[in-house]
Amino acid sequence: MKDYILKRIVAVILPFMCMYGFYVILHGASSPGGSFAGGIIVALSFIVFSTIYGLDEGRRILPESVLVWTESFGTLWYGLLGLIGIFKGVPFLANLLAGFKPGTPGSLFSGGLIPLLTLGVGIRVASTMVTLFFTIKEE
Amino acid sequence: MTAGLKTNLPVFIVVIPMFVAFMLPTFARRIKWIEGTVAAVKLLGLAAAAWLAHMVLYEKDFPVKYIMGGWPAPWGIELVIGNLAALFILTIAIVSLPVALFARDNLEKEVGPKQRIARFYVLYLLLIGALAGMAITNDLFNVFVLVEVVTLSCCGLVSSRKGHGAAKAAFNYLILATLGSALVLGGIGFIYILTGHLNMEFASAELGRVWQSSPHTVWMALSFLFVGFGVKAALFPLHVWLPDAHSMAPSPASALLSGLAIKGYIISFMKILYVIFGHTLMQEYGIYRILILIGMVAIIIGSLSALLQKRLKRRLAFSTVAQVGYLFLGLGLANKEGLMGTLLYLVSHAVIKSLLFLAAGAVISATGKENIRDLAGVGRKMPIAMGTFTIASLSLIGLPLLSGFIGKWHLVLGSLGAGDILSVTVIIIGSILCAAYLLPIIRIAYFEPAPEADWQDPGLPQKAALILLAAGVVLLGVLPGPFIELAGRAAAELLLIQ
Repeated sequence: MKDYILKRIVAVILPFMCMYGFYVILHGASSPGGSFAGGIIVALSFIVFSTIYGLDEGRRILPESVLVWTESFGTLWYGLLGLIGIFKGVPFLANLLAGFKPGTPGSLFSGGLIPLLTLGVGIRVASTMVTLFFTIKEE
Repeated sequence: MTAGLKTNLPVFIVVIPMFVAFMLPTFARRIKWIEGTVAAVKLLGLAAAAWLAHMVLYEKDFPVKYIMGGWPAPWGIELVIGNLAALFILTIAIVSLPVALFARDNLEKEVGPKQRIARFYVLYLLLIGALAGMAITNDLFNVFVLVEVVTLSCCGLVSSRKGHGAAKAAFNYLILATLGSALVLGGIGFIYILTGHLNMEFASAELGRVWQSSPHTVWMALSFLFVGFGVKAALFPLHVWLPDAHSMAPSPASALLSGLAIKGYIISFMKILYVIFGHTLMQEYGIYRILILIGMVAIIIGSLSALLQKRLKRRLAFSTVAQVGYLFLGLGLANKEGLMGTLLYLVSHAVIKSLLFLAAGAVISATGKENIRDLAGVGRKMPIAMGTFTIASLSLIGLPLLSGFIGKWHLVLGSLGAGDILSVTVIIIGSILCAAYLLPIIRIAYFEPAPEADWQDPGLPQKAALILLAAGVVLLGVLPGPFIELAGRAAAELLLIQ
């Protein structure tokens, strides 16, 4: 696309979209939204970028290997957090029992394990969505 | 360390295959690593399943409830490790290890380049993990999630084969299976509306109190779940997707789908029927009679349609439709022998049908011929593939000293116990029809002159896989002790719950 205005606007908006996505992901424990919605917003920023700047440019900033790694790593992160419970001698995915701090309700780091889990899921959702978009666009 | 491992064993059995599955795409280029990892996971799984079965059999403090995340029962998710779970997890481990061995050299031919092989293994591990989860979970919504995971990975496995036929079959399967999932979800929703619980035992207790005030809702829940799981398990009138999907999939995938995936749904359905609804409600709504009738029709029609098939894998796929009939028939007998029959037949059919599909896959990939008529003389050129195929066929027919006999024997005992002479007759007619559609394959393979062609047995890992499964079939027939013990206890537990 040769639209100069569109490109400029996207370049300005993009970091904020990405940041808002992570905001929704991390506040999933205490407010509406969560890892799926936030992950979609993060993915959307990359999708908008590669729609405006072209698929090749999108592939350049997010190569397939990076996408595969983040996708796998999001899941592995979830599994490793679950294992913390087992190492502490309490069940899998235990939250407060495994010694995570509940924090003040409503603040960012409340809910112990949950914001960390949603971060993993959010990264996974984002990379899956971007992969889906790239795959469909290429075919 | 061992204590920690022991208490958390059920979680590991479900979670490790799943997480390894998600890690596999990162080294998609190194196919040898992937194969090694999958084999290691399966070996570990077999060891864990054997350990679990041993503990369940010989230790006093079982069945054990595992509380996920430390949230107790009505709120959190419970895993129950009892006889039923141990039996099914052991079956999964016994079948999936040889399938992984067989897949090693086979996939390049049937699936294609490395990327696709990596994806095949991802789906394979997801399927195994989810099936193990179905066996041990005690939470209704968890059942639905795992049903979805199994369904989607099955669709992926079917479509992983090269060519258009597989994609079409997978699409058909996807549409029907999604319909089934929706029905299952609806049924679970009705139960949740009625009882306010998703935990199976709490839902069952509550259902016992409230069912008389809203009998129609219970009836809706029951019929939704019946049809939903019926579609998924390919019960007779709802089996239309199965022959295409199972005959089009790559052979290791066919073995998994026919051998294990269908059984997972049947185990879940069995738990829902017997744990949640219980004897009184099933009697009240006449489910037993429906199960027996549909089972009998499935046996006869499935066998007759298998008889008409000219292609090897399609004939085996229709045979699965018939065998599903036996399993549902046993569920409807509502006595200990009948349930034991279902469980034992489930185990033996898992081993037999995966062996049949793997052997058929080996024969088809060596000869390139799919029609049964073209396989003349293949028995003498491929002694191991056809030999194991013969053992499995004889076992499926139900000859004594082979595993199929034990399941059928208990089913017959159960039908006699229920005073149902008709179903005894149908079981025996089913065996005769089974002989009628399997023995001609063996006759053509051994007693007709072979053409001049260079057909050879497959490579070492595939031979090993076939021989392992054949050994499983014989061992289950000769020394079925632990399995009968586990199945008997599981059946007694299921009947005792009310």
